[in-house]
Amino acid sequence: MATPLPDAPRPDAPLLEALGLSKRYGGLIANNGVTLRLARGEIRGLIGPNGAGKTTLVNLITGIETADAGRIRLGDVELSGRPAHAIAAHGLIRTFQVARVFESLSVRDNLLLPFLAAGSPGGLGAGRARLAELLALSTLAALADDRAGTLSGGQRMLLQACAGFMVPGVSLHVLDEPFAGINPVVKDTLIQLIRRENESHACTFLIVSHEMDIVRRLCPIVSVMIEGAIAAEGRLDEVARRADVIAAYLGGNAP
Amino acid sequence: MIFSTELLIQTLLSGLMVGVLYALMALGITFIYSIVKTINWAMGEFYMIGSYIQFVAVHFLLGPSWWWLAAILAAAGTFLLGLLLEPILLKPMYARPLQRRDDYATVVTIALLLLLRNLAVALGGPNQYRPESNLPVVWIGPLPQEGARVAACLFAVLALGVFWLVIKKTWVGLALRAAAQNRVAVQTAGVDVYRLDAVAFAIGVALAGFAGALLAPVFMVFPTNGAVTTVKGFEIIVIGGLGSIPGALVGGLLLGLIESLGAAFISSPYQNVYGFLLVILILIIKPNGLFGERGREA
Repeated sequence: MATPLPDAPRPDAPLLEALGLSKRYGGLIANNGVTLRLARGEIRGLIGPNGAGKTTLVNLITGIETADAGRIRLGDVELSGRPAHAIAAHGLIRTFQVARVFESLSVRDNLLLPFLAAGSPGGLGAGRARLAELLALSTLAALADDRAGTLSGGQRMLLQACAGFMVPGVSLHVLDEPFAGINPVVKDTLIQLIRRENESHACTFLIVSHEMDIVRRLCPIVSVMIEGAIAAEGRLDEVARRADVIAAYLGGNAP
Repeated sequence: MIFSTELLIQTLLSGLMVGVLYALMALGITFIYSIVKTINWAMGEFYMIGSYIQFVAVHFLLGPSWWWLAAILAAAGTFLLGLLLEPILLKPMYARPLQRRDDYATVVTIALLLLLRNLAVALGGPNQYRPESNLPVVWIGPLPQEGARVAACLFAVLALGVFWLVIKKTWVGLALRAAAQNRVAVQTAGVDVYRLDAVAFAIGVALAGFAGALLAPVFMVFPTNGAVTTVKGFEIIVIGGLGSIPGALVGGLLLGLIESLGAAFISSPYQNVYGFLLVILILIIKPNGLFGERGREA
């Protein structure tokens, strides 16, 4: 087999390639050979009924948990078995379903931390400029010096997403249920932020969500997870017509 | 016992001076706990190592005029030792997730305590040493103060200041404050939390080593000199609240004052009892400590 040139640009090569990921908790198989490929610059939705293994998949991809089997590549970098902080440093950043912000730190410090942890690329000046930009876009500017613990649930989600955007050169953002339980105004702000980062910084997104109208607006392609595996991929309206998907959501047996 | 204003002021001064050193010790314990989430029972042995470094440096190498350099060497030495030991001894409890982390850490750090204490006996014998101090008596108004004590107190305040600067103004400090709140989130922010553990452990034991070095001419250098300070450190943790930095500072000063006042106005042989009375009182009124937010989970 011919060795590919190391820096040969392969625009068609997937940015994220997860092959055959499996994870078992005792007798429960949470992920059973999940394969997922994301193209560069894509906004992919990940949907599926509760307990289908979406969060487990996110945890495996971002290194919070170690897969029992399977491989993960981001661009040319093999991520399987790497610790979470190394995966983050390679440009794969996530948010949590229940926003994990640093409550006793200021909003500003919450945003600066991932930038500083990445080694302040471009210098502190660049970080400050980006900070100001994101504070304005996220409508959190007035709260910059407040403790993050004083923020509402929706504002925390915005802060958590922006903290990821603070790392320049991030190639993939994995957002786990970013729209769950937050008010419509904050939802719109977050949607605009995601669109803007996608267009101006060519960021790729994997968004886990139950909010079908938002998924329809944001994600040209969705992957449907059922019982620990990817059951379907395609446009939301197409996959939503599939009998196995309907059965998984509404109960009953797939034909 | 005759009461006089001078005696009261003298007592308050000496209480505050020793209290600052206690606070340094307690700060180390509480700081390590807040990041690594375990208690380092070998804290007093790092105090002991600091005092031995101080003695060796002053007595054999530098001479008494360079006592301050010796103290910095003691802090640096214990810092490096902590940086070296933490990944070997404590990291396994996170890297290979354990069911009973607290138990593991307790056994490992008590084993370290025994090892270091016996190492000190093997190397220096069971003897007491005292590094020479040529610091003159300091007069505060009409009140004479032992020079070494005043110097220890001033340098301890300085160390607290440096600690504050590192925590509040540097990016490592920011990462440490973040890690104290959420170990998983700090990793997803791209920070290597295991390296942070080692740094936090090293900073904590360096505070103890520095306290040991500063107090070496006052409380002497011998293999078990860390035992008493460890006990004081934990008294302060109970008083101030585990994991609370203000608690460590206030608790340290409070303990120093109460011991000193009790010794002067009640009875000096019972000096160590007054602190425990305060601990019992706090446990009755405010079981989580003055600044503590939650109890330790079983």
